[in-house]
Amino acid sequence: MTIATAPQTAATVLQYRDVQKLYGDFVALQGVSMEVKKQQVVCLIGPSGSGKSTLLRCTNALETIDGGEILFDGVRLPKDRTAIRKVRQRMGMVFQNFELFPHKTAIENVIMGPSTVLGLSDEASRDRAEALLKKVGLADKAKNYPANLSGGQQQRVAIARALAMEPEVMLFDEPTSALDPETIGEVLNVMKALADDGMTMIVVTHEMTFARRVADHVVVFERGEIIEQGPPKQIFEAPTTARTRDFLGHLGWDG
Amino acid sequence: MDFNFGPVIESWRFLADGVRITVLLSLSVAACSLTFGTLVALARRYGPKWLQAILIFYIDSMRAIPVLVVLVWFYFAFPIATGINLPPFLSALVALSFNLTAYVAEIVRAGMESVRPGQVRAGLALGMSTPQIVRKIVLPQAFVRMMPALGNVLTLTVKDTAIAAVIAVPELMRRADAIAGQTYTPVEVFSTVMLLYFCIIFPITRGVDIVYKRISFLGRS
Repeated sequence: MTIATAPQTAATVLQYRDVQKLYGDFVALQGVSMEVKKQQVVCLIGPSGSGKSTLLRCTNALETIDGGEILFDGVRLPKDRTAIRKVRQRMGMVFQNFELFPHKTAIENVIMGPSTVLGLSDEASRDRAEALLKKVGLADKAKNYPANLSGGQQQRVAIARALAMEPEVMLFDEPTSALDPETIGEVLNVMKALADDGMTMIVVTHEMTFARRVADHVVVFERGEIIEQGPPKQIFEAPTTARTRDFLGHLGWDG
Repeated sequence: MDFNFGPVIESWRFLADGVRITVLLSLSVAACSLTFGTLVALARRYGPKWLQAILIFYIDSMRAIPVLVVLVWFYFAFPIATGINLPPFLSALVALSFNLTAYVAEIVRAGMESVRPGQVRAGLALGMSTPQIVRKIVLPQAFVRMMPALGNVLTLTVKDTAIAAVIAVPELMRRADAIAGQTYTPVEVFSTVMLLYFCIIFPITRGVDIVYKRISFLGRS
């Protein structure tokens, strides 16, 4: 049990209404409706290419949607470039391939957001970055370049970099998929700690154990559509659709 | 056959000053080409359509015209066409830079395109603007990645400065030609000149290689 299990009355942070996304003729997302409440951890699962990551990228407008709407804090995602930057500053994103800046040390990576975007002083952003590196257990690696960090360490720096903007929501796009098995745990632990702190999180993942233990809400995607959503207990122990059972069966998940 | 290095040794100050001018011209051309090449690459990628079209035409034409022709044009035709008279050194600086800027622009463009799109997404996700992303994320990595190609252009620059001899810039080649003509020792003089060019360029090639090996990780995303 996590202490962050959101009460049903919590405010809605993100709301997706009938979201549609097309790449040419290919339907990437079709009629996607769901919502994310404050302090909730929502895990998106499903086969590769089912639209989970696309939905995440639409959430901070790295991709535009072709139909429906996404509301952040009750307001529809803006189209205007300056306005969209303001929205992105309130969301943190963590990528499958870390995407740390290779020409910057770990701490400089974390400083980038606060100093460039928020306009914090050197000292203030450095203090913030040091605290965050400590939080993810990498205070001693502050001066390392990404090339001198393991995958797990790089991903933890990337989490610190996103947190440095003090976001209201964290978006995780398959954060452990590019990691060696032995470093997956350290990243999941950091994410679990974040969830326990009450961070609102959307996590695209193939880590079913994580989804089961940490998520408040699990959404199953297939071919751009949501085929089932509900609490992890329902999804993993009593899935209501045959397709969910199929998907979990393919993973070798036996409940 | 007998060699007579007397004239070369006697006029070593004269030749050394030629080396100085060759190096000065090379560095000036390199600095101009790098600056303008980067601006051209940025304008080609982010500028308005009409400007992109002009720049593509400029790059294509510079790749299609011999640099000697560009040089001669700037020295002999440009003053008559515009009424602006440039001294030889400045003519050479403008002509060589005008030519090499096109090559540098292509290198910078390729360098920027080689930076992974995910790096730009990471910047966007932080809420950075496109100019911030270009300045703080894309260009620094691109320049690291471009180092070998830019080093190559720098050696080309030094070599290209030799053609400035035809418009009487008193650089190494021009002076060598003068000594060889006066003393009838072309073998000794031009062999010395070959050696001098080699001594200028070889350390650049090796140096760029060594530095690049050490810092290439800074551009590896």
